[in-house]
Amino acid sequence: MGTPLIETKDLKKYFNTPKGDLHAVDNVNLTINRGQTLGVVGESGCGKSTLGRTILRLLEPTSGEILYEGENILNYDSNKMNKMRQKMQIIFQDPYSSLNPRMTVNEIIAEPIKVCKTIKNKNDINDKVLELMEVVGLAERFVNAYPHELDGGRRQRIGIARALALEPEFIVCDEPVSALDVSIQAQILNLMMDLQDEIGLTYMFITHDLSVVKHISNEIAVMYLGQVVEKAPSDELFNNPLHPYTKALLDAIPIPKLNSNNSLKNIIKGEVTSPINPKPGCRFYTRCPVSKKECIAGNIALKKVSGEHFVACTLF
Amino acid sequence: MPEKLLEIKDLKVVYKTDENIVHAVNGLNLTLNAGEALGLVGETGAGKTTTALSILKLLPEKIGLIEDGSIKLDNIDITNATDADMRLLRGNTVSMIFQDPMTSLNPIMRVGEQIEEVLLIHHSDMDKKSRDERVDQILQLVGLPPERKYEYPHQFSGGMKQRVVIAIALACEPKLLLADEPTTALDVTIQAQVLALIRQLKEKLNTSMILITHDLGVVAQTCDKVAVMYAGEIIERGTAKDIFESENHHPYTTGLFGSIPDLTKSSKRLNPIKGLMPDPTNLPLGCKFHPRCSKCMDICKTKEPGEVEYGTHMIKCHLYK
Repeated sequence: MGTPLIETKDLKKYFNTPKGDLHAVDNVNLTINRGQTLGVVGESGCGKSTLGRTILRLLEPTSGEILYEGENILNYDSNKMNKMRQKMQIIFQDPYSSLNPRMTVNEIIAEPIKVCKTIKNKNDINDKVLELMEVVGLAERFVNAYPHELDGGRRQRIGIARALALEPEFIVCDEPVSALDVSIQAQILNLMMDLQDEIGLTYMFITHDLSVVKHISNEIAVMYLGQVVEKAPSDELFNNPLHPYTKALLDAIPIPKLNSNNSLKNIIKGEVTSPINPKPGCRFYTRCPVSKKECIAGNIALKKVSGEHFVACTLF
Repeated sequence: MPEKLLEIKDLKVVYKTDENIVHAVNGLNLTLNAGEALGLVGETGAGKTTTALSILKLLPEKIGLIEDGSIKLDNIDITNATDADMRLLRGNTVSMIFQDPMTSLNPIMRVGEQIEEVLLIHHSDMDKKSRDERVDQILQLVGLPPERKYEYPHQFSGGMKQRVVIAIALACEPKLLLADEPTTALDVTIQAQVLALIRQLKEKLNTSMILITHDLGVVAQTCDKVAVMYAGEIIERGTAKDIFESENHHPYTTGLFGSIPDLTKSSKRLNPIKGLMPDPTNLPLGCKFHPRCSKCMDICKTKEPGEVEYGTHMIKCHLYK
């Protein structure tokens, strides 16, 4: 086990809405060790993207702490934070809208370098751009192309090259492959795993697709309506899912094999309820097949079940 | 011999733009019997949706063109059918569920009215009372409480909107249902609910179905037959058993299976297909998959492979003779 690079303590992000506070991220405690990948899984609206952005301080948290190598980055002023940003980058979900259509590939990848002035000489910047393009597997002939000339897989490679431009230590990957076709998705996942092996990057990998996250993560956190309901090492979570929601998520994945009897599995009813002013107790209560009275009596904390396996459920 | 519901022969569809011609569908053959569910699998740009739009004759006017081939639906040749003829068939004999339930409903019409609209057009002899009864009945069938028919689409969640869309498609009990990525826009737990619903309805109503998807998992859960599309052609076709359990496959199908992260195995790397889909304005000679194929031979670069059939299983590849 490595040393912790990123830690969050009781991190909260509420949004003000006319109907009340929307609890997008509620009391999240996570640790990501250097060189490791934490997968964050959940359905749309569970707060996983908000969590990623809050950790990078792209959104100001409502309360809590974010520690980077033990230092609380929430106390940093804007100068210090800008320096800090060189170490933490983000790859966005949609490669079609996250690239400026009026900039060439060269300009897009060079922009972070120019903004942070890590390299000053123009020729050196160009060399660095070409080097980055090679790392992510983009042919040199695209250096002056515009994003609209490229397909989704190549665009996502630009997004990755841009995130790598400042040689960060930590990258938040916000659904980097969900907008891509399966064959391209596999290419990008392989690339990201290779980069981690070579440069020792630390990832926080946000996705709704459990099968993707299994491949790339050391540890997985399952989120439901702003809260982490289960956290365990990747293999442990797949072999021994404990929380009813995690089980439901795993059961819901259509398996590309015949007679896998998905139709006989328990499909959970209902849909995600509103995160605005949630009631105390388990937020999965309304959909849970094994709900009891205790579930809504009070808030349920993450409990250690074994080793590194934590779950928030009254069953344990 | 089961009744043939849909027969597509040698279909070629092009999109003509000012600059170039996009070859979207290139000689597609497909038959579907009554009561069968076919999964049409392929990646973005393979021509899946174009095929469905051709069956409905909803290709964009002036740009989209059926260049060659014939489509026979329910023993009627619709290749040259007029708009007026097609209007009688759409919604009645064949109907479609679109990918995105958020945009395929009219936001300023109550959902009950949107379902009633189909009945109004195709069953003009029904009176208001029996139409209302039918709307209630169909809403119950897709698992929505009939009281909610007075609500507007924005009052429903994504999964429920997709149920409304399915209700509209089924209102006239069509013989053929085209479902274009019906669950792609939905969360996994909701996807499981909608797939279960589609499965139940298929059994209850004995509707034939073409399910368009890029997700082999979805196909395995719902379909009897599978056709894999690449660059506007069907390169492999067979029963679900042929595709999921047979040893012989087109290299592209093998690649598709290799790209899916397997939950049961813990291999470190995935085995993707290298390269990208060919540009449909400039398709390669010979087998259209040869630039990406790991088993490419000399003949593949010049000669287009023929369809080789083993019983129900068809593979279009020079490796099989």
